[in-house]
Order: sequence, then C-alpha cells, then structure tokens
Amino acid sequence: MDLEALNAMSLQLRRDVVEMVYRTKDGHPSPSFSVADIITALYFEVMNIDPSKPDMSDRDRFVLSKGHSCPVLYAALARRGYFPVDDLYTLRYLHSNLQGHPYAPKTKGLDATTGSLGNGVSIGLGMALAARIQRQTNRVYVITGDGELGEGMIWEAAMAASHQKAANLTVFIDNNNYQSGGTVSEVSGPYPIEDKWKAFGWHTQSIDGHDISQILSAVEKAKAETERPSAIICKTIKGNGVSFMVGENSWHKRVYTDEEYSIAMKELGGVV
Amino acid sequence: MSSVDSTRIGFRDALMHLAKERDDIVFVSTDSLKVVKGEPFLEAYPDRVIELGISEQNGVGVSSGLASSGLLPYICTYAGFLTMRACEQMRTFVSYPALKVRFVGANGGLHGGNREGVSHQFIEDVGILRTMPNFTILCPADGNQVYQAMLVSADVDGPVYIRIGSGREEKVFPDGTPFPLGKIRTLVDEGSDVALFCHGFITGRVIEAAKSLKEEGIGVKVVEVATIKPLDREGIVGILGETECAVTIEDHTIINGLGSAVAEVIAEGNPAYLVRLGLQDVYGESGFPDELLDAYGMSVQDIIEGAKKAIKQKKV
Repeated sequence: MDLEALNAMSLQLRRDVVEMVYRTKDGHPSPSFSVADIITALYFEVMNIDPSKPDMSDRDRFVLSKGHSCPVLYAALARRGYFPVDDLYTLRYLHSNLQGHPYAPKTKGLDATTGSLGNGVSIGLGMALAARIQRQTNRVYVITGDGELGEGMIWEAAMAASHQKAANLTVFIDNNNYQSGGTVSEVSGPYPIEDKWKAFGWHTQSIDGHDISQILSAVEKAKAETERPSAIICKTIKGNGVSFMVGENSWHKRVYTDEEYSIAMKELGGVV
Repeated sequence: MSSVDSTRIGFRDALMHLAKERDDIVFVSTDSLKVVKGEPFLEAYPDRVIELGISEQNGVGVSSGLASSGLLPYICTYAGFLTMRACEQMRTFVSYPALKVRFVGANGGLHGGNREGVSHQFIEDVGILRTMPNFTILCPADGNQVYQAMLVSADVDGPVYIRIGSGREEKVFPDGTPFPLGKIRTLVDEGSDVALFCHGFITGRVIEAAKSLKEEGIGVKVVEVATIKPLDREGIVGILGETECAVTIEDHTIINGLGSAVAEVIAEGNPAYLVRLGLQDVYGESGFPDELLDAYGMSVQDIIEGAKKAIKQKKV
C-alpha cells in the first residue's frame, strides 16, 4: 500500500472505532487513536500475513500488550478481511467474537490474548524464540503503552530478550504521555524511556508515531539488526485525529453523544 | 527405563524421553535448570532450553507465546513461584486461551519444601489451580509416577500442572507402573469400613496406616486421587457408596485441595462422613520431611485416628 493509501486507511480505522464505540456504547477510543497509525503500518504494509491462511505457521505475529486499544486492532483485522466489518458493531456484546480485551481463540487473525498490562513483551518474546527454534524467519511486533512501563514484568522481558538476542522482536512504545489516572509524568514517571531500553541492551529509535513513513523506516532499521531486539519509542497523541479528544483524558474510555459523533466523523474525513 | 528415585529426576528423564521422540519440546528455565539436575537435557538439546533468569511471570508469558506458536513448553520451578507469583499469567495467558503449556511445580507440600521453610513450602498450589478452567492437575506419588505422568499427559489439551517434590520422596510404585490419568486407583482394598483418599508423597504412609487398620480388623481402602482435575467423580462416588465414610490425606492446605474436592462430591448428593487431614489453615516451618508431616497432623497415627473417627461418626 502506498503512503497515501495507508494514511487513508488510518483515518478509516479511526472512523471504525468511533462507529463501534458510538453504536455499542463502550470501549476505549483515545487509546485506540494513539496506536492507529502504527497498527495501520503493520497490518497494511509491514507484516507478512494472509487473511485466507490465518494459522500460517511462519506468519508475522502481533501482540497488543495494551489490550484496551483493541477496537482499532479489530477494525484493522476486519478491513484486512479476517471477518466482516459488521462484526465490529458487536464489540463487548454477549457471544460476540470481539471481547472487551483481546481473546485470540474467538477472533480470527488475532495472535495473542492480552488485556492485563505488562504481559505482551513476554508473550512476544515467546513467539520470537519459537520462530528461532522452528527455524522460521518471521518477525514479532508488540505495542506497549508508556504507563504500562510501570509493570515490572516488562523489564523482566526486556532483560531476557536482549540476553536471548531476540533480534526478530520489535516493541513499539506508545508514548502518548497519558495513563488512566493522568499524565505519565504525574502518575508513574517512566522517563527517560529510550535510555531505559538502551540500558537493557535494546536497539532503540524515537519517532513520530503518527508519521507512517517514519514508522516504516524505523521498522526497516529494526529488521537490519541481527543481535538486538528493537524498541521504537513512538511520540503519539492520545485521541489523535479528533480535536475534542486531544488533551481530554476522559476519552480514555467514554462514549460519543450524537453531536460528538458527528464532529468526530467529519474531522476524520467521513460522511455523516 | 531405569529406576527413577525422585520426582525431580522423574521429570527430567521423562523430558529427555519426550524430546528424543518429538521436536516440539522446549524447557523454559527461570534459573531453575539445576533444580531438576537438567544439565544432561541442556547438553543433549541446547536449542530446546530457554534460560530466562529469575523471572517467573516472564517465564509463563514466554511459555504462552511458545505454545501459541505450536511448541510444547515445560516450565519448571518452585510451585509457588508459578502458582502464586505468576498466578495471573497462568490464568489469563494460558488457562483462558487453553494453551498447551506444561507447568511442573517443585517443593510441593511441607515434604517438598522441608528445611527451606514456609517461603519454599507450597501448600496452596493445587487449591489455586483448581479454580482455573481447562487445567489438568496431577499429583503423582513418586519419581516413577512423575515419569509416567509426564508421558501420558504430553498430548492432553490445554494446560497441565504436575506437582513434584524436593527429590526426597520414597518409592511407592514398582518401575514401569502406568499413571492412571483422569482415574482414581485403589491401592489397598481390604474391606469397606473406611476409604482413605490421598495423593502425592504421603501415599506410602497412608498405605502403612492401612496395614495397621487391617491388623486391628478394620476394613480399609486406600484410594489414590492423583488426578485432582478433572476429578474422577464417578470413581469417588462409587467408593463412598461402599464405605459411607472417608479420610482425605494431603500435604496441602485442607482448603480447596483434595479434601475440599471430596467434600464437594459428598455435599452434592453423595452423603458420607469425612475427616480431612492436611494443613489445618496454618503454615509450616523448617524441618525434615517426615518430621514435618508428623508434626502437622499427617503422621501414620493421625491417619489411623482419622479413620477411626470417620467410622465412629458413621456409627453414631
């Protein structure tokens, strides 16, 4: 997909999230928006996947460690053709294949069950090491939050991954500077983020997480590493794309009114 | 197969056996390779050992990733560091998606933790895991039974937990005795006055107690419940129907272990009198294995008295 199409897709995924949250009256919209461009780049350009063969053993894997951002991941899977777009409007309903947080056995195309924070890097490391043992060349991508870096298990995995020289593992840190209770600076103090990953032996890059060309370029640099796993610290904006969601942390988990829905859709280039 | 003289070696030797036969076996070590004298495995299969250092939550997460990619990971370390420290990882990332991860928990019970003291004596592991759907929970009696349990459980769907000890377990079963996956097994059948349900490394002393009871003219059965989950309800109901009273003996807290499992069967329409032996909602302390079992209500004499108490209740 070319850059223009990727940018259009990232807007489409955001509109899908607005539609899902508006219709089903639940879900996490702004954490979905901060990772929308990373997920677009991965699912529509970077990852070697085939929706007609969702269980292909040497496919690239994706782990959404910050599982609450799943509405945008579900949108990507639907738009990629794993299941009908209409399924998106069953989010969090009884018997839906789209659980409130990702549950791999129910959702076609989903590689990992996640939701409780701090676990995704370990799961991704397991997948990366499995590829090595199985002599496959596939790669594993993980997205963690910045607030999530407070979980000790992230650093257990960070230490083990560099010790294991898991160069096929790439972790994006969604540095939107917010967690549920406020800014990460106020609540948990994760900075300096890049220095921490570097100190743990990772190849690190800092980029604009809403610039898809920067994301693609960073992935190429990560792929060139032969010894070290890669951490890509992505400066992002929670709610990016909709003016009234930016800087308003209540959109971490909030439902659109009719008026908000219309404004959001218009700003995201949709027709209401 | 040569004689296996401890549960830890039983695990290691079975893993060697499995790795020889299939290429999906992986040993996940959280600096725990030495716990099971795993050096020969590392030497034979260096590419199938993943050393993660002391990080059990990470170890379970990595195991989840390995299993979701089609490998069969065995993660072995002290029982509580898995079932308590990494409890949530076992639940949400293995039990919930029903992944085939094998957990081998060392230092099960006071016998298993012995002189290490409470931080390394795990009396809650079975109880914690009983609450998790999809799990198979196995408590073999000795090294040979661990070996056999490993072999028969390799292809079981979903996660499996195998409880092992310190390496100081007495031999109960002759070499080569199969492990009765999913079924109870009657080890002593000398009448129907009382049933003694047990599992794990105290099985030998339960058999010893049964001998004394028989000598006193009491009709006794010893029934091994080595698969705690899924529980062989039908088998237990059959035994209770004959004896109408029972004693459970487990080196575990009496809360949510074997005693609770049998009590649940009894309460749900199969009335019988029950005495539960095990840790009576207390912690242990440092000591030698047999000395600890004697001190905490699991002596041969305690079992004999428990049996008599159960029979007496029945006759009242």
